[in-house]
Amino acid sequence: MNFPKELQYAKSHEWVKEADGVAEIGISEFAQDQLGDVVFVNLPQEGDEVVAGEAFGDVESVKAVSDLQSPVSGIVCEVNEALLDAPETLNSDPYGAWIIRVKDVTDREELMDAEAYEAFCAEEG
Amino acid sequence: MSELKRTQLYDVHVAAGGKMVDFGGWDMPVQYPTGIVAEHLYTRHFCSLFDVSHMGRILVSGPQRVEFLQHVLSSNVMALDLNEAQYCIIPNENGGAIDDAYLYRFEDDRFLLVVNAANTDKDLVHLRKEVQAFDCTLTDITKEWASIAVQGPKSRELLTILSGGAPLTELMKNCLNTLPLEGRVARIAKTGYTGEPLGYEVFVKSEDAAWLWNRLVELGAKPAGLGARDTLRMEAMLPLYGHEMGEDAEGKEIPIYAVSLAKFAVSFSAQKGNFIGREALAKQYEAFQQIANRHYSRADGILPKKIVPIVLLDRGVMRKDMPVYKDDKMVGWITSGTMVPYYVAEGEGMATTYTDETATRALGMAYVDNTVETDDILYVDIRGRRIKAAVPRFHMRVDAPPFARPILYTPPVEDKAATGVNYRPEAMELIQKATENHIWRQRKCINLIPSENSASRAVQLLCASDPAFRYAEHKKILSFYDHEIFYYQGTKFIEKVEEKLVEQLRQYLGATEVETRVISGQMSNMAVFSSLMDFKNRNNRKVTPKRLGYILHNHIMKGGHLSAQPMGALHDYVAVDPVTERNAVVPFPVLPDNEYKIDVEETKKVIDQYRPEFIIFGKSMVLHKEPVREIRQFVDEMGLDTTIMYDMAHVMGLVGDHFQKPFEEGAEIVTGSTHKTFFGPQRGLIGVNYKPDELKWNLWKTIESRAFPGSVSNHHLGTQLGLLMAAYEMNTFKDEYQGNIIANAKHFAKCLKAEGLDVAGDPAIDYTETHQVIVNVGYAQGYDIAERLEANNIIVNYQATPNEESFTASGALRMGVSEMTRFGFTKDDFAKLASIMADCILRNKDVTEDVEKLRSEHLTMKYCFNDDEFTSALENFLGVIGL
Repeated sequence: MNFPKELQYAKSHEWVKEADGVAEIGISEFAQDQLGDVVFVNLPQEGDEVVAGEAFGDVESVKAVSDLQSPVSGIVCEVNEALLDAPETLNSDPYGAWIIRVKDVTDREELMDAEAYEAFCAEEG
Repeated sequence: MSELKRTQLYDVHVAAGGKMVDFGGWDMPVQYPTGIVAEHLYTRHFCSLFDVSHMGRILVSGPQRVEFLQHVLSSNVMALDLNEAQYCIIPNENGGAIDDAYLYRFEDDRFLLVVNAANTDKDLVHLRKEVQAFDCTLTDITKEWASIAVQGPKSRELLTILSGGAPLTELMKNCLNTLPLEGRVARIAKTGYTGEPLGYEVFVKSEDAAWLWNRLVELGAKPAGLGARDTLRMEAMLPLYGHEMGEDAEGKEIPIYAVSLAKFAVSFSAQKGNFIGREALAKQYEAFQQIANRHYSRADGILPKKIVPIVLLDRGVMRKDMPVYKDDKMVGWITSGTMVPYYVAEGEGMATTYTDETATRALGMAYVDNTVETDDILYVDIRGRRIKAAVPRFHMRVDAPPFARPILYTPPVEDKAATGVNYRPEAMELIQKATENHIWRQRKCINLIPSENSASRAVQLLCASDPAFRYAEHKKILSFYDHEIFYYQGTKFIEKVEEKLVEQLRQYLGATEVETRVISGQMSNMAVFSSLMDFKNRNNRKVTPKRLGYILHNHIMKGGHLSAQPMGALHDYVAVDPVTERNAVVPFPVLPDNEYKIDVEETKKVIDQYRPEFIIFGKSMVLHKEPVREIRQFVDEMGLDTTIMYDMAHVMGLVGDHFQKPFEEGAEIVTGSTHKTFFGPQRGLIGVNYKPDELKWNLWKTIESRAFPGSVSNHHLGTQLGLLMAAYEMNTFKDEYQGNIIANAKHFAKCLKAEGLDVAGDPAIDYTETHQVIVNVGYAQGYDIAERLEANNIIVNYQATPNEESFTASGALRMGVSEMTRFGFTKDDFAKLASIMADCILRNKDVTEDVEKLRSEHLTMKYCFNDDEFTSALENFLGVIGL
């Protein structure tokens, strides 16, 4: 299983990539594997406020629905609407398929680096 | 928490990477590494394996096993023959479900009841308590036997490899069989929980489970988990206990009749008598009928809600217990919901094919107010948002095998009536197209449809002349010594024509009487069935007449015609057996090694068992003579009053020395159509051999009155006129024509075989004794091959063989030599045709030029009057009448 070094990870299995004041958020490979086939993604809208540790959307697999938790607080500045038509990219390319981008980041959850997150997953899995 | 239970296949699942979860106390695979979507799709288009060994398997034995099962189940256990299964419910006294189950009768003296895994303990407590009042034993064999569901279009093919080619079960759903799979005992059921038209559940001893699973995987089946099992059953609208049965979102019990499948699972038959929950279920059934008749409020106290299919029209996924709204009123809850994948289809009708492209749709089931109807728009509250949904008629259809066909929801559209259009261009076009069609079918095509023929020019012209637009109702009146009395003036010509037609056909058939007013073969049969029913009830007119039964007939899957099936012409005349609650028909047994031929010795046993009051010989896929003489002899020896009819629709033109003489052999009634092997336009006829001094003479008199006024008032005088000419032709040329038909058919069959095609039937008799030849082209390939032949101007029927469950899965071509023989084809011509067809079928060659050449050599009709004097009279007729 892949845990890219350049990303940070939340305990709720989202990844964050921050650059130039914008945080890109997706779900980890471990998360997609646990979910199984993703068939639907419920997305917020541009301009919505997200709060660290709280749900900003959800992702449905054939089996169940799971909340997407935001690892940061801020304002949604971009939404990956391609996921509406091709939610399965969350399975096939979890680190390419970002879900939202957040600007004006004010707060962050406690995040892990790749090594810590890998250990965390090993414990959970 | 207690230790999770493991099935016989646990290690196999873990080794295959199955994601194991707790399901009803069992450690079960919810999916394998390929995922639920891929597993679902693989089931629909190939074949998946499901471990269903976690389900409870209970053997029911002992002298009072039937009485016990009738008491605790909703279904009529007496209706189960050996090697049949039925869906049933274990009801409680309130008419709710303790569980739903499947009952299998693999053995004469024991039943197998299979129940839901999570309910097995609860069910056993209930059943063990109830069984105390009966001399009956319950044995839990869940551990001793394993169970694997093999589901999908390839399931039969794969299992048949393991059976060494032996047929698995009869083709119908719920048929069972016990047979060895590579030497290991297996009990096979044509049942399943995926909706697949081809699917089996296989019970094997525990020690054989891993072997069977791995063998099927080797052959190409793939494992599927509980996740796919759930999405598949939802698409098929199959209920699941805990969702569509049991308790609703508010904890109230869901009545059994809320699920419409209940109407098949519950029986109120007199044989069944009283049973647990009967009173409550009878009330529910009454309410169920009120809802069906849209008297919703009359059902409110008993069935306020019902289970319906539901599909989302906007993005989202439904889940159990989400509230459902109609307008702004909450009408119920989702009971099951998911996102289901499907293969995108292309083309229409039989030409429908599935692409590699897949898509998904959000569907499920809802428990909603009984007023909700198909096409209603509903809204589902998905985590605070109301998402638009609709009630489709169904999510999927399973009546066009080999595939289960997803039905995508389309909202109803309103028809716009066109007004003020000038139809003259269309009228012109119609003339043009009709010309092209006539030339194509009469001069360019090699037509091998066995139920068709071409009529001579004289017959065609007579059909189109004046009588085609007239009436001539007539009836025999006893006051005038049974003389025919006509109701219309201007009918003296047609009266003579009808007299002569009856005389010609009596002579042809060897009948004492013939009725010619029926205008199709199907109508002929319906008039006879109606007459027989009337005859049966003639001594008591004060009660509703009893229907006919038992009736011995050729089953449609073994080549029987629609006009002798309960779904066809027998529909309104056949009784329902109170024991089986099914139509009182029994099929002729056929030979195990030649399913096209009736097994006479087995038939005698069936006659002895059922004492049929009516036997119908004849079929539409016909290679053999029917054993009329043998069966007549047996019926007479038994002293039965059975009426024997021979529906000779296909072989009407073959009556005589080269085929069969029905009345000499013992038939009492012959029906048929006049345009297949006979030379006529499209009509029917009924012949009998009753004489005025016989008891059944009254049956003949009834047949006359069920023809007119019973079936037809306008009996199509134009084609009756044409038929008289056809009868003259037949009575003049029949010996030569019939001899050539049989010789051509046998030669055609042999040549097709020599060309490498798989010709059905018995090689010892050159495959056929009729005008028909049947060629197997491979399961579900029939339509494509027939289309290819048509593109090359060869017209055949694609046809399901006795081993195919539906015409949509046809694997054969049904052909007849009658029309081409009439156009003068000889044995040599059929040899050439066989070679051309092999090029087209086996080598996919364009044979249009070969077909054109062969056809162009045979444009003159034979076996009709074509001397100069006759031709000149015909030209004169044409010129005078101006046609």
